[in-house]
Amino acid sequence: MIDKGLFKELFYTYYGEMMCLAKTLLYSDDEAEDVVQDVFMRLMEADILPAEGKAGAYLLSAVRNGCFNCIRRKSITERVKSLYPLEIEVEWHDADDRMEKFDAICDFAENNLKDPHRTIFRLRFKEGLKLREIATELDMNIKTVYKYLSQSLKDIQRQIGH
Amino acid sequence: METNPNITRLLEMLDNPDAYSGKEILDIISKDDETREAYRIMVAAKQGYRNRESGEQCIDVDKAWERLETHPQLSPEGSSSHPKISHSWLKIAVSIIGVLFISAIAYAACIRLGIVGWQTQKALPQSEQANNKEAIRSRTITRIAPASKQESDTIKSGLMVYDNVPLEKMLSEIADYYGLEVIFENEQTRQLRFHFVWNCKEGIDKVIDNLNHFESLSVTLQDKQLIVE
Repeated sequence: MIDKGLFKELFYTYYGEMMCLAKTLLYSDDEAEDVVQDVFMRLMEADILPAEGKAGAYLLSAVRNGCFNCIRRKSITERVKSLYPLEIEVEWHDADDRMEKFDAICDFAENNLKDPHRTIFRLRFKEGLKLREIATELDMNIKTVYKYLSQSLKDIQRQIGH
Repeated sequence: METNPNITRLLEMLDNPDAYSGKEILDIISKDDETREAYRIMVAAKQGYRNRESGEQCIDVDKAWERLETHPQLSPEGSSSHPKISHSWLKIAVSIIGVLFISAIAYAACIRLGIVGWQTQKALPQSEQANNKEAIRSRTITRIAPASKQESDTIKSGLMVYDNVPLEKMLSEIADYYGLEVIFENEQTRQLRFHFVWNCKEGIDKVIDNLNHFESLSVTLQDKQLIVE
């Protein structure tokens, strides 16, 4: 029988980090919470705790896989509607590298893009507005919004790659 | 700086993906390397902002622990006080009942078809027996309507990698892409699992040829139908 004290300690140590990862990969907080809870439930069912010193890596990897499975269950339309990845294995080949890329892209957008490019980028990917909504908000022609965002993506691709 | 028209098309599509089929969406995203890359960057940008946002949010670990603690395996007496978990168990129970119910119907249908076939064969001459066999065959095969959902594990340069995926799921996606219907002549074949790399830029004949390399599989194309024997 699993040691409840140790299990609780594990939960309190890693829950926050696991939730942060799940919320990054899944854009629904409810789905993210379900994935993290499921990881702990499966630990209980298996009646075994991860080896000392490897618990963090194990739990985060389990969360990542749970999130990927959740994304795989979504249709292509659902995925693109919310901007979920289509090439999970390719993009997440190196998880640490991937997380650094996230940061680099946001840093570049916030610090290097000039307005209105930066505002468009932020409204689209941070606030989740559609481009036609952004065009209305900024009182711009939709074609101009397409052009500015395309330029920003090209800049990022050139500077950071992917 | 010139704008790649394929990226403009991608941006248009992302504003209203419901107006496109799964095939059209995949075609737009994998039109060229730059467009594919643009989609990846957009995904990463969204995930990046989500990561920053979730890092700043306060998480109530006590509440989460309470939720988990009521799981029957950790605290058997607490199981009934946890609505979410109770709901999960209820869903599992309903699923099991559903599977049993469907199995019962399928079993009853098999028995019925068996009786019909036996009676007819005894009563009819041989030429009509053949026609009747064909009629029974057409009733027992299962048709899959073109899938509304396209789920794939990996898409890269038009490649989709199915890793240990049931044939039923894999073929429904492939058939949907080519506007075909799948017909399984053998129920057991549906659940066979394969590792298969599908290049959606290849023609259906080539894809069928590749599928037929599996020893346990025989796929043919007849009148817009993929027949799986």
